[in-house]
Amino acid sequence: MQAHRQMPRLFGRGALALVIGAYTVYTLGPFLWLATMSVRNTGEISADHYAWPNPWRWEQFRVAWVDSDFATYFWNSALVVVTAVAVVTLVGAAAAHALARYRFRGNRVIYGILFSSIIFPPQITLISLYQILVDYNLYNSLLGLTLVYISLQLPLTVYLLEGFFARIPQDLFDAAKMDGYGDIEIFRRIVLPIGMPAIATTLILNFIQLWNEFLFAVVLITDPEKRTLPIGIRAFMGDHFQDIGMIAAGVMISVIPVILAYAFFSEKLIRGMTAGAVK
Amino acid sequence: MTVRASLNAALFVVAMGGTAQAQSQITMWSNWPDEPAKKDWVSARVKEFEEVNKQCSVKLSFIPKADIYTQAKSAVRTGQAPDIFYMEPDQPEFLAGGFLEPLDGYIDLKGLEDWAKPAWTSKGKVYGVPVEAYTVELYYNKELVKKVGVEVPASAQLTQAQFADLVKKGVAAGITPVSQGVGDRPFPGGFLLYESLLRRLGAEDYGKLMAGELSYKDPRIVEVMSWVKELVDAGAYPKSFATLKLGESHYYFYQKPGALTFPDPSWFTGRAFAPPESGGMPTDFPLGIMQFPAMDKGTCPSCKTLAVAGSYVLYSRSKNKDCAGALLKSMATVENGTKWMEQVSLQTGLKSDPNKINSPREAYFKELNARNTGVKYFFGTPLFHYRAKCAETYTQVMNNAFPAGLISVSDAAEKMDAACLKK
Amino acid sequence: MTVQMTSAEAPAARASGAPLASGFSDPRRTSVPVLLVFLLPALLVYAGLTAYPAFRTIYDSFFTIEGLERIPVGLSNYAALLQDETFWVAVRNTFIWSFVAPCLDVATGLLLALALYAGVPFARFLRIAWFTPVLLSYVVVAILWMWIYNYDWGVVNVALRAVGLDGWTRSWLGDPNFALASVIVTHAWKWAGFNMVVCLAAIHSLPSEVLEAAELDNCGWGAKLRHIIVPMLKPTLLNLYVLAFIGKMKVFDLVWIMTGGGPLWATETVSTYVYKRAFNWNTFDLGYPSAIATVWFGVVCAAVILLNKAFKSKDRLEY
Repeated sequence: MQAHRQMPRLFGRGALALVIGAYTVYTLGPFLWLATMSVRNTGEISADHYAWPNPWRWEQFRVAWVDSDFATYFWNSALVVVTAVAVVTLVGAAAAHALARYRFRGNRVIYGILFSSIIFPPQITLISLYQILVDYNLYNSLLGLTLVYISLQLPLTVYLLEGFFARIPQDLFDAAKMDGYGDIEIFRRIVLPIGMPAIATTLILNFIQLWNEFLFAVVLITDPEKRTLPIGIRAFMGDHFQDIGMIAAGVMISVIPVILAYAFFSEKLIRGMTAGAVK
Repeated sequence: MTVRASLNAALFVVAMGGTAQAQSQITMWSNWPDEPAKKDWVSARVKEFEEVNKQCSVKLSFIPKADIYTQAKSAVRTGQAPDIFYMEPDQPEFLAGGFLEPLDGYIDLKGLEDWAKPAWTSKGKVYGVPVEAYTVELYYNKELVKKVGVEVPASAQLTQAQFADLVKKGVAAGITPVSQGVGDRPFPGGFLLYESLLRRLGAEDYGKLMAGELSYKDPRIVEVMSWVKELVDAGAYPKSFATLKLGESHYYFYQKPGALTFPDPSWFTGRAFAPPESGGMPTDFPLGIMQFPAMDKGTCPSCKTLAVAGSYVLYSRSKNKDCAGALLKSMATVENGTKWMEQVSLQTGLKSDPNKINSPREAYFKELNARNTGVKYFFGTPLFHYRAKCAETYTQVMNNAFPAGLISVSDAAEKMDAACLKK
Repeated sequence: MTVQMTSAEAPAARASGAPLASGFSDPRRTSVPVLLVFLLPALLVYAGLTAYPAFRTIYDSFFTIEGLERIPVGLSNYAALLQDETFWVAVRNTFIWSFVAPCLDVATGLLLALALYAGVPFARFLRIAWFTPVLLSYVVVAILWMWIYNYDWGVVNVALRAVGLDGWTRSWLGDPNFALASVIVTHAWKWAGFNMVVCLAAIHSLPSEVLEAAELDNCGWGAKLRHIIVPMLKPTLLNLYVLAFIGKMKVFDLVWIMTGGGPLWATETVSTYVYKRAFNWNTFDLGYPSAIATVWFGVVCAAVILLNKAFKSKDRLEY
């Protein structure tokens, strides 16, 4: 797996650099603009939207975090998302393993059913889920939201992991069986460690999608204290509709941890996606 | 501590705490998270109530308008809605669904203004406390208007031609004539048009229009719409009209970049009287209030829209109706109505004592009262009367597309008739 | 792969409940209890939180639901749907989005991946930078881009004015002719990085011999692209297209926050319309929005099946 090092002959080096530079500005520019606005107050911003911050008003972050309940939103999101991701990855991995490894009647049917729900538009389940949660007294509860999140990510998890698990060489299983291991132990000792890249990828993808999930959270949670972060940001925006500096600070708070986590784990993610790309 | 001692202590605490445990908590959702004066008034009422009624504690949240309806709608179906929540009278489905509790047994109805009661009365019972009331006014910048060369007569009402002239002169001078934004509200775009329609048609026919009994193709209506279309085409509204938010349109009028006029309900003060750094009006702003222009061949030049807005309702499935009802009772008093007018500089559906109003905004009130003397009120804005598809069409067509210059008079009339005219 | 076991192991395999076939036991079969342990949690979640609600929604679409009453109305919700102008506008908008935008997404992803593959400096930094928008929540993306599209001081108009193209400034989200395109651009901005990563992984896994052979034959980049890389990546690209298509058929968050379906329904999608009917109209009826959701579900399924046929899904391998 070597990267080819020659420059393309279709475009000159300069043109390529220009395109790459432009695209990077296009991608990162808005974010940098947001960052500069988060340390200026609204008066300064209204006067000139693009000026460099002077002074750097770091206290806006404190105000956003403390006075506006961001800590609560962060905690709620963390609780719900971490739990949901852990559970769905485990449950999905178990199901994916069974579907990938064992032959039994209905294997492909079950796989097809689980996978096909990826195409369900959320509206088909949204209204009924709302009624169901009410019936079971789980409406407006973080537990209810967690359960819904688990169900949302299950198809994708099964899809990604089944593909990867199916490629683990059968020899390993044969050897393990010969050594007398039971099926569940095989799962624990072979599939999970070997499947780590794919599991990590799935974990990260699930995390990203659920951390930013908005529609179900806005419908199923009404208590301001149970809001997750995306809802909290929007509410925050409503509270400070003219206070652009404040909104920018709040948005930065919600975004930076995710980006840092990603920068940190990106290598694992790429390796996982690359490993899973074996044809 | 020995076991017995601690048991005794526990029993003692339980015995003492017996009465204290009867404290119930009620949840209350209010709007106005970004309007300090109203927020303070509500918080003060809650605090006063808690002090007098120690057995009731209140969990008060301020939620933006967009979310409060969606969430209330979802919540009431589940039995888990807050005990008291903010609502405006244009959501009759809550009443129809049986989700609101009649307040006759809880509050003192004499504390409510007679003209405000009908907004919340159904089958003889009152369902809401009409805290916020407003008239639709036309604010303007005295200096800028003078600067572009327009004289506002003593009656404070321009004629149709004079207003069109104002628009042309504003555009020529590079100043936006009318500040307005529909980015986050479904109604502001209709103010100029509908106030003009009211003055042209008179209360009775305008009422028919609201009830779907008059077609938008009526020649009088077409005339008024064509006049407004001329203004729109001449550049009366800001270019960012469709995405400008309500709060931003305030800012646009009295701070940057500035406009000649600003049609706004009298709740204008909620944002305008906030400190300038938080988006309020500069202290030396030359604010004037004029009447909407008189229409040629107009039936009722002194007609005006009056409406009830922010009110508080009691959830019919609340488990703490006593506390909640008591809170509403403590809110609906003449004293509090007076405080509202003083602190928020806005009308209220609660009775108030004009002699006791000690407002720091005397000049403003004087002008506001002057604009409301000798006036004939029509109750309710279009969205108060229109429902479902008609309301949605109003929001998209009359509120947004028509003032934005995106649709012709005949197309707009066509769409409105299709959605609203009773067949 | 054949499995060979000594006869000593056969009894052990048999003891685990696997069926015997001429002395060999198949480790790819196992007992029902074990299968249940693996599959049951997932199936329970699916049944309770996905399948049941879906069926219930379909069931609900035959009723009018006001508060706590249910009135069966047969097919009248569907009949009303056929007449519903707003619904058809929403369908049109969603289709435009779903068929057109994925082309943009996949093409951008491929080009970016190629740029990285060609070995530009700072590749690792660029990979992270270009992936960042994917991490942002739709709320954040919506807020950012509403500011970018702002008529008076947003980046787009300021830049246009700076180069003297004042005539081209518009209220990007307020003009029905441009609102949909503007929202599509924002959506593409967010997802380009994801497509890039997938394409990059796929390119890395191409057998290098073929590419080296092409090198030796002195193929130019253009030819290499057209004749080798794209055909070999076809399964991945088609997979991405279908995934993007599905995603766009469901899109809600971004549109809702940026335009709420306006102006003049130019950005109304089926999702926003369902949401409005369920939670915003002056009614508590859930029957009609359930009908919309059911119909849309059918449409999405049909479209995916058609796409799969069109792309000959047998060729599509997992990436």
